[in-house]
Amino acid sequence: MNQELAEKTVAQLKNASIDFVTYLPETRLSRILPILEKDDFFTLVPVASEAEAVTIASGAALVGKRPACYMEATGLFVSAYNLLLVSMRLGIPLLLLISHVGNCADQKNSFRFAPTGVRTEEQLKALHIEYQVMANASDLNTGIADAVRMMHALKQPFALLFTGDFTV
Amino acid sequence: MNRRACLEALLPFVKDQLVVASVSGQWVWGQLSKHEGNLLLGSMGNALGVGMGLALGLPHRQVIVIESDGSVLLSLFNLPTLGTLHPDNLKVFVFDNEAYSGSRISRPSATAAKTDIAAIARDSGIERAVTVRDLGNFNREMSSTIKEPGLGFVVAKVEETFEHRNAERSDVDLMENKYRFVRYVERTEGKPIFLGPG
Repeated sequence: MNQELAEKTVAQLKNASIDFVTYLPETRLSRILPILEKDDFFTLVPVASEAEAVTIASGAALVGKRPACYMEATGLFVSAYNLLLVSMRLGIPLLLLISHVGNCADQKNSFRFAPTGVRTEEQLKALHIEYQVMANASDLNTGIADAVRMMHALKQPFALLFTGDFTV
Repeated sequence: MNRRACLEALLPFVKDQLVVASVSGQWVWGQLSKHEGNLLLGSMGNALGVGMGLALGLPHRQVIVIESDGSVLLSLFNLPTLGTLHPDNLKVFVFDNEAYSGSRISRPSATAAKTDIAAIARDSGIERAVTVRDLGNFNREMSSTIKEPGLGFVVAKVEETFEHRNAERSDVDLMENKYRFVRYVERTEGKPIFLGPG
């Protein structure tokens, strides 16, 4: 993701009142991190596993934070247990910002990513987590706001899968 | 020393704290305490993470986590994260009976061999992590942990007991528990928790 898109992504998160972001850094979207870090509006929480990215964000939601978890798509497999047993069972509004590595539109796709990438959307379907794919820069205009509105309406996790323009 | 005796000692210290319990502690704590700030998760490996989220989200409010050896071992990555984030308002009690007692056949956990959870916690940056082996020391450490500011982490070596196997299960499901907890936080913090129009 280039700097302009990173800044626009963070601006849209802020506009949507996301104020608490747990993360394990990866390669495609990582430029959002210094921008999030510089803005006191956000509580930025580094973790050691996507599993606790989910549990920490879920805890924060229960005391009034508007949380997001930023992770690579492989982290979705790591955190499936925690999503099911905490976020979904408790009904937690939680935005999953997922770098859709290994997807067909991933501009840095390789043998390292594709075998998991082709299973990512199936994994979300198996978990019964609603999602949208963000492939074009213009998707940012409404994509994050729509997702946050939906996660609050559902009171469940909602995933945004970033690929295409966001992986350049 | 057993877990019930420790939790009975903890009970009078819980006023307006938020309390999160993992699967094994929730039955006994749920029987002892009807506190609206209880969040009884009913799963392993999640209470410490959720507790960290509560503590970071409400830094002026004390949060207590009731954990077990098996649950902490399932999510050991929590300890370096806890040592790094170091929330001063979080108090963690790990009841270590050195067994997977909920399995009904009591297989030993790694703490029955050489694993020392308090030592891992200390090496992860949780300086005040201690192990206690009798009720007198538990009462002392628990009391000072609750009363004094700063991240607390107490591992209580307890006998394996089997009361949870026959304990009456509550019919309060997680969703009902969540809303009771959330309404309590809303009332005591004076702010809405979940957004969105009805």
